[in-house]
Amino acid sequence: MTDFPVPNLVPLPVLLPLLGAALTLAFRRSPRLQRSVSIVVLAAVVTVAAVLVWQTDARGPQVLWLGAWQEPLGISLVADRLSALMLLVSGIVTLLVLVFAIGQGQADSDEENESETPLTIFHPTYLVLSAGVSNAFLAGDLFNLFVGFEILLFSSYVLITVGGAASRIHAGTTYVVVSLLSSALFLVGIAAVYAATGTVNLAQLAIRIGDLAPGVALVLQLCLLTAFAIKAAIFPMSAWLPDSYPTAPAPVTAVFAGLLTKVGVYAIIRVQTLLFPDSPLQGLLMWAALLTMVIGILGAVSQSGLKRILSFTLVSHIGYMIFGIALATPHGTAGAIFYVAHHITIQTALFLITGLVERLGGTTSLDRLGGLAVASPVLATLFFVSAMNLSGIPPMSGFLAKIGLLHAGIEVGTPLAWLLVVGGIVTSLLTLYALAKVWSQAFWRTLADAPHSTETVAALGAGTLDVDPAADPATAVVVDTAPRTLPRTMLGATAAMTAVGLAITLVAGPLFAYTQRAASDLAARDPYITTVLPQDVRR
Amino acid sequence: MAQLLLLHLLAAVVAPWLAKVLRRKAFPVLAVAPAVSFGWLVSVSSDVRAGNLPTQRISWVPGLGIDLDFRLTTLSWVLALLVTGVGALVLLYCTWYFAERDPTLWRFTSVFTAFAGAMLGLVLTDNLLVLYVFWELTTVFSYLLIGHNPASSTNRRAAMQALIVTTFGGLAMLIGIIAVGVHHTYSISELLADPPPLDAVTVTALVLLLVGALSKSALVPFHFWLPGAMAAPTPVSAYLHAAAMVKAGIYLVALLAPAFAGAPAWHALTVGLGLLTMLVGGWRALRQHDIKLLLAYGTVSQLGFIVAIAGLGTKTSALSALALVIAHGLFKSTLFLTVGVVDKCTGTRDLRELSGVGRRLLPVSVPATLAALSMAGIIPLAGFVSKESALEALWQDVQTSTPLPGPWSWLAVTGVVAGSALTVAYTARFLWGAFATKPGVDPTPVKAAHPGFVLSPLLLGVGCLLLGLLSPLESPWLMPYAVSSPLGDTPPSLALWHGLTVPLGLSLVSVAVGLLLFVRRDVVGRAQARVPALVDGERGFSRTMRWVDRGAVETTAVTQRGSLPIYLAAILIVFVALPGAAALTRGTLPSIRLWDNVGQAVVGVFMVAAAVLVLVTRRRLTAVMLVGATGYGVSLLFVLHGAPDLAITQMLVETVSLVVFVLALRRLPTKFTRHPHSPSRTWRIALGVAVGASVGLIALVASGGRTADPVSAEFPTEAYAFGHGKNIVNVTLVDIRAWDTLGEVSVLVAAATGIASLIFVRTRNTRLSRATAKALPSSNPARGTWLHGGRTMRKEKRSVIFEVVTRLVFHVMLAASLFLLFAGHNQPGGGFAGGLVAGLALVVRYLAGGRYELDEAAPFDAGLLVGLGLLVAVGSALAPLAFGGTILETTAVDFTLPPCGEVHLVTSLFFDIGVYLIVVGMMLDIVRSLGTGIDRQIADEESEQEREVART
Repeated sequence: MTDFPVPNLVPLPVLLPLLGAALTLAFRRSPRLQRSVSIVVLAAVVTVAAVLVWQTDARGPQVLWLGAWQEPLGISLVADRLSALMLLVSGIVTLLVLVFAIGQGQADSDEENESETPLTIFHPTYLVLSAGVSNAFLAGDLFNLFVGFEILLFSSYVLITVGGAASRIHAGTTYVVVSLLSSALFLVGIAAVYAATGTVNLAQLAIRIGDLAPGVALVLQLCLLTAFAIKAAIFPMSAWLPDSYPTAPAPVTAVFAGLLTKVGVYAIIRVQTLLFPDSPLQGLLMWAALLTMVIGILGAVSQSGLKRILSFTLVSHIGYMIFGIALATPHGTAGAIFYVAHHITIQTALFLITGLVERLGGTTSLDRLGGLAVASPVLATLFFVSAMNLSGIPPMSGFLAKIGLLHAGIEVGTPLAWLLVVGGIVTSLLTLYALAKVWSQAFWRTLADAPHSTETVAALGAGTLDVDPAADPATAVVVDTAPRTLPRTMLGATAAMTAVGLAITLVAGPLFAYTQRAASDLAARDPYITTVLPQDVRR
Repeated sequence: MAQLLLLHLLAAVVAPWLAKVLRRKAFPVLAVAPAVSFGWLVSVSSDVRAGNLPTQRISWVPGLGIDLDFRLTTLSWVLALLVTGVGALVLLYCTWYFAERDPTLWRFTSVFTAFAGAMLGLVLTDNLLVLYVFWELTTVFSYLLIGHNPASSTNRRAAMQALIVTTFGGLAMLIGIIAVGVHHTYSISELLADPPPLDAVTVTALVLLLVGALSKSALVPFHFWLPGAMAAPTPVSAYLHAAAMVKAGIYLVALLAPAFAGAPAWHALTVGLGLLTMLVGGWRALRQHDIKLLLAYGTVSQLGFIVAIAGLGTKTSALSALALVIAHGLFKSTLFLTVGVVDKCTGTRDLRELSGVGRRLLPVSVPATLAALSMAGIIPLAGFVSKESALEALWQDVQTSTPLPGPWSWLAVTGVVAGSALTVAYTARFLWGAFATKPGVDPTPVKAAHPGFVLSPLLLGVGCLLLGLLSPLESPWLMPYAVSSPLGDTPPSLALWHGLTVPLGLSLVSVAVGLLLFVRRDVVGRAQARVPALVDGERGFSRTMRWVDRGAVETTAVTQRGSLPIYLAAILIVFVALPGAAALTRGTLPSIRLWDNVGQAVVGVFMVAAAVLVLVTRRRLTAVMLVGATGYGVSLLFVLHGAPDLAITQMLVETVSLVVFVLALRRLPTKFTRHPHSPSRTWRIALGVAVGASVGLIALVASGGRTADPVSAEFPTEAYAFGHGKNIVNVTLVDIRAWDTLGEVSVLVAAATGIASLIFVRTRNTRLSRATAKALPSSNPARGTWLHGGRTMRKEKRSVIFEVVTRLVFHVMLAASLFLLFAGHNQPGGGFAGGLVAGLALVVRYLAGGRYELDEAAPFDAGLLVGLGLLVAVGSALAPLAFGGTILETTAVDFTLPPCGEVHLVTSLFFDIGVYLIVVGMMLDIVRSLGTGIDRQIADEESEQEREVART
């Protein structure tokens, strides 16, 4: 390991998926080869990310100036503790969702249905998406960050409309137009940044922005924050998300929900800590966090479709991360980072579970679901554990992440911070309420009690509802006479995803210590700036 | 201690399998976990008594102050004994409670064992956050247990109620805990040893902690969840009411009382609400017909009583609180378990139907009677001893006016006496209701109970008696907790007989009144009808939840309009309000130079005019052309700035975009459907102007604020020195910022795939068809032709001149594209521009000869080309690694190639080739999808229509 120059590892999480995309495009006639390529590539990304986590923690940030250009002319890729962790978590999620999607594709072809995730389109696009996410985390350059966003956005446009059903195109239109607008605003921001500072390298910007007049710096900061806030789905720029995510195929929604908004959150953390440390904008961000949390979760409470409920909880919990960032203390940042890691895994797990629910129950509308706890105890267990995790029930990661934020909030102790603490608690309770309703209706209630159960049965083509007349009415179950089975690969991937969420609890000690170190790196700024731009080349 | 919890966890994990194999015999096996724990607790009892407290610490998340600290104090020891002892007996009891073939055993066994483990953890830990962990775990497990038979909507609602109410309290408590932790410590022992000053934060935190405790222990106004919770199977009720869950709140109050009983609001919340709960619960118990529900309200009442006594905070009250907890645990578990037996043996719990059960179920009615007498506080049972002690504590307060001042202390005594009277009355009602032979009611048919089924209640019932008789022996074990309170004197030992004291008198009064209430139950019943429920928490709860639901729907209706224009408007308003407004108020404008060259102004005016016209036009094609015009305007501006490379690229991109638009427009109506005079037009225009003005302002402010030289100032020298190229733009694209380019070509890959995906839906179009196979019969195949594909087109669509020109131009365009690719490093051009030219050549071929001509020109799959391009690009990025270089590093090689002479090859060319291939592939994808694909759709629809026509 000591021989190999670690910085050369830094671009691999981008290059490997691109290589994979090239190969899957070339092997378009061999689904098996495509699957192997995708899995190998993403597994390699996870490995590289793990090495980067270890190396950045042991040796500090790793920087690669691509093409060996002299600083600060070219593009630098930087892996520090924060980006390495993001890479690792997103890598694991991407890999597991891929396995799920493969399982779904295989199961669909077994049933001789047309696949929801056609291979020739899905694999290359998915890998490009993964490259884009990695690039966004690694970018040491504002324009390259934009490129990273574009990569992931364009592939997401393809994935969200895959299959081309009218509802998907409609939802996709909302998504694409909003994303294009956010990209345009981001571009305006980059242009303004370059106009004012003459550079787009983040480390150099960190130095030069300090020399700007405060008013100019504020304009640049607000431009960038607005662009990122759209991507992160922060109120009042969040309404697009629940209208566009739910229609996509399950694995696509899962990976979007897990990763895409978090890339926006990551960008906010990076920009706030590295570029504008003297302008925390606490008031603005705290109000944004509060409204995002509360209005988001009220949305979840008001819905009756599982996918929409989860989309709203996704928006709502983005508010938690902004809460941590808004505090602008190392503890707050550490809490936000921990929350990001937790939320990526849990939100993905829940959307995968939703995919299985849809498969088993034929729908995700709560008016038509019932009896799932009896139909599949394994799925019920997975849902329950994950739902409780998202609701912040101890000792799971959601609880620990929440503690980190509340601790930091109470430490700050201003009236607004207290308001956020209370808002966070209310959100937590309402999350539990919304998900307990799902549990109660979809899993506990018998199918016969569901308001529109007959439609479900018709949709499943399952014959009739059977109520066992001999059974005690209290324990009587309504069974679907032809229960669908859940493919093993899909169930396995979902279980693994849930297990990753639980594993965070076990490694919470070291992980939280790591996020604290990452946060203090961010607060100090120095390891980053000095590693990217050694003292003698700063201009 | 952690090992005991691990044992429970292990038991809970293996329980489903155990239940599958052993069926209900799994219960005695699982009972081993609490039984072993009980044994361990007994084995360390002398240590605890001597103050030699066992502790243990396992690090978990030190950064958050959460470590698995365990510490066995007298208080936790007592509760742990109760939790494990009752837990083991209840598990044993379950063996006969459940049916052999019950399909729910696998989850019941697991959840119940986990519940027991969580409760044990709760009382053992010394860390407030860990306490909260177990606290919430008991909530979640009890939720599952209450909803054990979820088919009934009542049960589901009861479970939800319990979950929401106790989690609400729990979360309030969590804020309190963290506030204490942030300002002081999470360690319970440190907190109690050195209580923080009672400042605003501490008092707030304390109140929040009490909210948690009170909601968990079902005190008014949270009391309603507990009677609902009896939807759970009876063993769960027995455990939940006697030893677990509700005792958690009491534990917390008892834990904090010695240190914080002096805090403001403390006594109001504990003693005040406790006594109110005692009365409300007792009163409501008197109107119940279901004996299980009667007991449940009895528990509410008793919990109020215990919290009140524990909250008082003197040494005497501390001792009696602990005695009450033990006595209550024993008698309440006995009573619930016996109710379970009665229910199973008679099939009913309605006291109007039960008659003559007592005599025929002696093994049940004897322990039940013992326990009931203990509940009523009748000598010589444990309940009597503890109640005497409680009255003694209150009487001391009356005498000394500490901690409660005079009138309040009298009120407290009166409250407890009244509450005890109600307790006596509902106890009598229970005994009479469950076991008495009632005139006019047929004796209830009774099945015999299995001896094992009555073992647990029998043991516990006898415990009530023994504990009462042996109470003087009990005191020394409890005393260490009692003396930890700073208030009052060391209390006298617990005993059956203290002489003729005031408390004894009060006790007799309450018994007398209680019996009177029972005898005159007809009067009480009429009074009940007039005062239905003293405090109806349930109605308040459902009103709150309805309010939340409605509020959620209404809020969401406002924020989630489902309208893209509104979402965009929200975003743009934020943009104007934040960066736009900041630029206006905080920025300073530089001096503005309007133009370097009048041509720029002309082009600018032209572009603005085109942009405005786009908004006015109703025809889609016109709009597309006008948008194109703005793009060509940009290209002109590049020219005027002296950037030919950018101009060429921009021009090509604009052309390609036009082609794409036009191809796609074939499938759209010619005119927009919008209504130009809609009422929202005004504010849309206003917003548009504001956004435009903001962007302009931001650009000006940012350019005016520049403080440093741009990095690009060094590009010209470095591009030649290090990048080996004279064309700075190309060197920037393929070398300095090649990483961006790699990213952007991946965008192209995705875009190409996406276009293909939208048109062909499931696969890229791989069905190639050669023109020769599909020639239309009308054409003449014998004669030579310019384009083969032309023959497949209808006559009215053909243009011979176009075909001829295409034939002539196609190869020239390809050659030009290659020239742009290879010359790009030093002269205007590059892989991107070259690829676009080649792509346009394909477009021309398609336009002239139709879809078959396109397949003729490019008889391969676009995806393959794109993939190959990406492979070349990524490969050339990685290649330098093999030579010990950095990714994307380039070098120049000079060599002689015979026909060409000297060649100066810069390795970035390979990267550019990749770019070229991707662009060509993307163009091919576009033409195939939007051209060929749509042609095919149109053709399909036309033939469909023809068939329709033919049919009609």
